[in-house]
Amino acid sequence: MSNVITASNLTLGYENDEEIIKSANFSIKKGDFVFITGPSGSGKSTLLKSFYGNLTPESGSLMVGGLDMIDIKKKNLQELRSHLGIVFQDYKLINEWTVEKNVVLPLWISGYSADVQATQAKRLLHHVKLSGKEEKYPMELSGGEQQRVGVARALAKNPFLILADEPTGNLDEYSSNVIWDLMENACHQLDTTVVVVTHRIPMVFNIPYRHFTIDENGSVYEVH
Amino acid sequence: MKFIKTHISLIFPLIAILLGLEFFIVFDRTTDSFEKGLQNGYSMMVVSKDEMSIDDFRSWDTHIEQVKELEKSKILERLNMNDEKSKQKKFEASLPNFYSLKLDGYLTVEALDTVKMNLKKSSNILSIETFQSSYQSKYELFSFIKFSFQTFIIFMAIIGFFLIVKQMEVWNFLHAQRMKVMEIFGASLYLRSKVLINMALIDAVISAVLTSGIFYLFQNSWVKGSQMEILKDNIDSVFRYSDLFILLFMAIVVVMIAVFLVVVNVKEE
Repeated sequence: MSNVITASNLTLGYENDEEIIKSANFSIKKGDFVFITGPSGSGKSTLLKSFYGNLTPESGSLMVGGLDMIDIKKKNLQELRSHLGIVFQDYKLINEWTVEKNVVLPLWISGYSADVQATQAKRLLHHVKLSGKEEKYPMELSGGEQQRVGVARALAKNPFLILADEPTGNLDEYSSNVIWDLMENACHQLDTTVVVVTHRIPMVFNIPYRHFTIDENGSVYEVH
Repeated sequence: MKFIKTHISLIFPLIAILLGLEFFIVFDRTTDSFEKGLQNGYSMMVVSKDEMSIDDFRSWDTHIEQVKELEKSKILERLNMNDEKSKQKKFEASLPNFYSLKLDGYLTVEALDTVKMNLKKSSNILSIETFQSSYQSKYELFSFIKFSFQTFIIFMAIIGFFLIVKQMEVWNFLHAQRMKVMEIFGASLYLRSKVLINMALIDAVISAVLTSGIFYLFQNSWVKGSQMEILKDNIDSVFRYSDLFILLFMAIVVVMIAVFLVVVNVKEE
C-alpha cells in the first residue's frame, strides 16, 4: 500500500527556539489509523501541524500525499489542504456562519454547486446527530456539538487524510463516542488515513490502529 | 440597521477622503481660471532708450510672453499738453520708448523681483514699473486662500486616513478568524478576502455617489444663490459628472489597498 505520509530524519522547531521533534523516521500508509500520544509539550501538535503545512520542517524530509513539504509551493499547498480533513481541539468554526455553511466550507472552497453542498450538509449533519441545527450559529451550540460540526466539516469532501488534534479533549462521552465512530467508519469504510493526536487512546476502539508516541526529547517511536 | 452599522464605519472616512479630493479638484479648476484672469490683467511697464523687440526682452528674461509698445502720441494726449504741434513733435521725438510686458504666468513676488532685476541688467532699459504693491496684495490674498484650502484638504485626508487605519483594525478583528480557517482548508487569497472585497466595493460605490451628490447639491442650490462671484462665474467647474468616476476610482483604490493590507497581515496560527 502507498505511503500517505513519509518522514525521514524529520526535525521540527519554531524560529529562534530549540528543536521540538528530532530526526523522526516513520511512514503512514493509506487506510492507517494512527494515534500520536506523548506528554504535554512533547511536540504532538507541532508534528500534526507539519502534516498540513502550518510548519515547515527545519531539516530532513516530509512527504504528504506525494508532496515535499519543505519546498512546497503555495498553490500546491492550497491544493493539498483542500483534500485534507482537519479537526481542531478548539473547533475553529466560523462564528458568523451557520452550522450548514461551516460544514460545507471545503466544498464551497472547491467550487461545488449549492445543491451538492446542501445535500452533503444534510447527510453529514445526520451522521453527527445534528439534524435540524443547520441554521444555528456555532455559539448557539454546546462544545460537543461544535466539535461534531468540526468533524462533519472535516469529512465533507471525503478527504484522503484526516488530521485531528485532540478531537475529544474536554468533550462529554456521547460526543466523544460519536466522533470516534465517525473516524472509525471513515477509515474502515472509505479507506481514509486518519492521524489523531491525543492524550488518551479510547478504551474501546473497534478497528486496528497504530500508536506513535513522542518522548520528552522529541523522539518519535511506534509502540503498537 | 445591521447593514448601516457594518458599512458606516468605512463610508464615513471614505467620504472624508473623497470630499478632500473633490474640493481639491474643484478648487484647482476654479482658481485656475481666477489665476488666468489675474495673469491677463497684469502687465509691467518698461521704459527703454532704444526700441526693443520681444526677443530683446526674452534675452534678459524668459518669463516675458508678450510685448506691446505704447504709442508716444497717446501718452502725450493723456498728458493733455496744449503746446504747438511742432513743439509736440519735437517733444515726442525726445521721449524714450514705453512698453507693456505680459508674463507667462502669475508669478510669485520673488519671481517678479527676479524678472525686474534681470531686465535692469540691460543698459538700454531706463526704468521698470512692476506695480508691486497692488500685485503683492492680490498675490498674498490668493496665496492665503490657496494655502488655507490646501491645509483643510490635507487635514481631511489625514483624518480620513486615520479612520481607515482604525477600520482596518476592526476588519482584522472581525475577519481574521474566518480567513485563517479558510486558509487552513486551502482557500485562495481571493476566496479568503472575497467577503471583505465585496463589502469594501459596496462602500466605495456608496461613498463616491454620496460625495458626488453633496457636490451636485452644492452646485445646484448653494452656489446659484451665493454672492461669491468666483464660484458663480465657474459654476460648471463645481461639479462635473466625470468627477463621479474619478471619485469612484479613488475610493476603489483606497479600499483595495486597505483590504490587501488586512488580508496579507492575517497570519496562520
